[in-house]
Amino acid sequence: MNKKLLKNPYIQFVLFGVVLSLLPLFVIFGVLPSSYITLIGGVIIYSISALGLNLLLGYSGLISLGTAGFMGTAAYISAYFTVNLHMPFEIALLAGLIVPLIIGVLVGLVSLRIEGLYLAIATLCVSEILRKTFEELSFLTNGFSGKTASYPKLLGFINLTRDTSYVLLVVFLVLVMILIYNLVNGQLGRALNAMRGSEAAAQAMGVFLLKYRLIAFALATGLASLSGVLYVHFIRFTYPTTWTMGMSLNILAAIIIGGVRNIYGTILGCFIVFAVPDLFLKQIPYFGTMNGFAYIFNGVLIILVIMFYPHGLIYIGNDIKRLFNKKKGKV
Amino acid sequence: MSHQAIIADDIVLKIEELSIAFGGLKAVDNLSFQIREKEVFGLIGPNGAGKTTAFNCITQFYKPNHGKIYFRDKNNNVTNLIDHPVHEVIKLGLVRTFQNVELIRELSILDNVLIGAHIDFKSSLFSQALKLPNAVKEEKDLRDEAIEVLRFLGIENRKDLPAGGQPYGILKKVELARTLMCRPKLIILDEPAAGLNDVETVQLAQTIRTIRDRYNCSILLVEHDMRLVMDVCDQICAISFGKFLAVGTPKEIRKNKDVQTAYLGTEDDET
Repeated sequence: MNKKLLKNPYIQFVLFGVVLSLLPLFVIFGVLPSSYITLIGGVIIYSISALGLNLLLGYSGLISLGTAGFMGTAAYISAYFTVNLHMPFEIALLAGLIVPLIIGVLVGLVSLRIEGLYLAIATLCVSEILRKTFEELSFLTNGFSGKTASYPKLLGFINLTRDTSYVLLVVFLVLVMILIYNLVNGQLGRALNAMRGSEAAAQAMGVFLLKYRLIAFALATGLASLSGVLYVHFIRFTYPTTWTMGMSLNILAAIIIGGVRNIYGTILGCFIVFAVPDLFLKQIPYFGTMNGFAYIFNGVLIILVIMFYPHGLIYIGNDIKRLFNKKKGKV
Repeated sequence: MSHQAIIADDIVLKIEELSIAFGGLKAVDNLSFQIREKEVFGLIGPNGAGKTTAFNCITQFYKPNHGKIYFRDKNNNVTNLIDHPVHEVIKLGLVRTFQNVELIRELSILDNVLIGAHIDFKSSLFSQALKLPNAVKEEKDLRDEAIEVLRFLGIENRKDLPAGGQPYGILKKVELARTLMCRPKLIILDEPAAGLNDVETVQLAQTIRTIRDRYNCSILLVEHDMRLVMDVCDQICAISFGKFLAVGTPKEIRKNKDVQTAYLGTEDDET
């Protein structure tokens, strides 16, 4: 009975969330340094964005390099709402979602005409245009000096601290995991899969390509925006230089390394790409402090993963289990 | 509907003067034929005769330059298929398979079959995302139906296996199962016997007949395997270089001089 309960994916998601939200306790008891909260919080934020991109890349087979632009737009807009207009966090969140969503849907419309690499380039251009806008539109973004924000104030009166904001991130992550799980295991997931497999077959089965591409783009940009809003209210500042192509590529790398079409794989990928460099690589003498070493690490890792685990590192678990069982069998 | 009188009561699909040209090449030229309810209809012709193009015109993957394609849909209304976008054709009850099986390798066989039920899902994206009761029930009902179809085709035991890596004969059956999910009026099979061995081809003929009887639908098939065509079809239409040659029962087609010269070879060859 107990085992059955643990196998329920929803229970697993919630348990995962509970374990993640225990992190501040470890910090309070002094087991872990407090910088870990910012680090893992960042991983959670990027995971939300990567889960959205995974829907687009993994399921629909559409490439987008515009993730950073959408995240940035949402970050700036929501920060403008909370800081300049003194609106509650919830309204800022909505505002931060709507504008990128509209841009995302427009890109989705274009995606019917251009495909593959061309779509990647087009989305990259959109992202760069947005970044340039962050630099120039200084009344909204404060230009190069960057914009600061504070921790979210829920419902206009609950002021969150760093630790409680972190818990809010975990709550959002678990919600997103559940939503994605439901969507990809239902009609939408099958339609997107069909579209990736063969557009002709999808159409013959009644999948209206335009509609489902728009849905895929809307969901991906929606989640990127959510992560942008969370970013600016957790990290509490944003510069135009944060939202470069490097960020989009890192999120893409996280999906490839962790596991395409796999929720936990995506999160594992984000952990490897966004936390491992800070956690471990910096400890390596000489190389660790080298500028851009994280990029080299990611690049090498992508090559290795594609060679040995083409579906993502998350499947390494199965191999370890098999190895373990084999050993046990022998003894 | 205004087209109601155009086709007789027992006709499910009527093609009139269908033409499509790619540049200067007339792939299908002034083709006409009709398919009755509960009929297995074969479309044959040598390589490059324009069979697949005719298929793609009927299923609206290509829009023909000229001609009418009347179809009697599930509600007994007659419409001209050309007025419908490609993804709406299945809603009328016209569904097809592909020459090279078009399944999603990563999905389970059951999920692949459920793609055929795409149009039957009525619950909104919102209720799907939140797994509201109506979405859960819908998913369960259609899942049960898909299992039923798989059982009918004798591959229920494989339902949870991924489609990738299954033998070709099984994949063909999965694609058939997928077409059955929409309770079709007319199934169009593009070379169903391609890649099947002799035993499987004999089974396929049997399957086609049982599908027709059980689902009360018509079947149009394009096929190179003459044994299958002659065995299973009630009516056959032969075309060559996009042009109509003859229509008739397998016996008539076999005897037809034009067909013999164009397709089956001359009489000298046969003796």
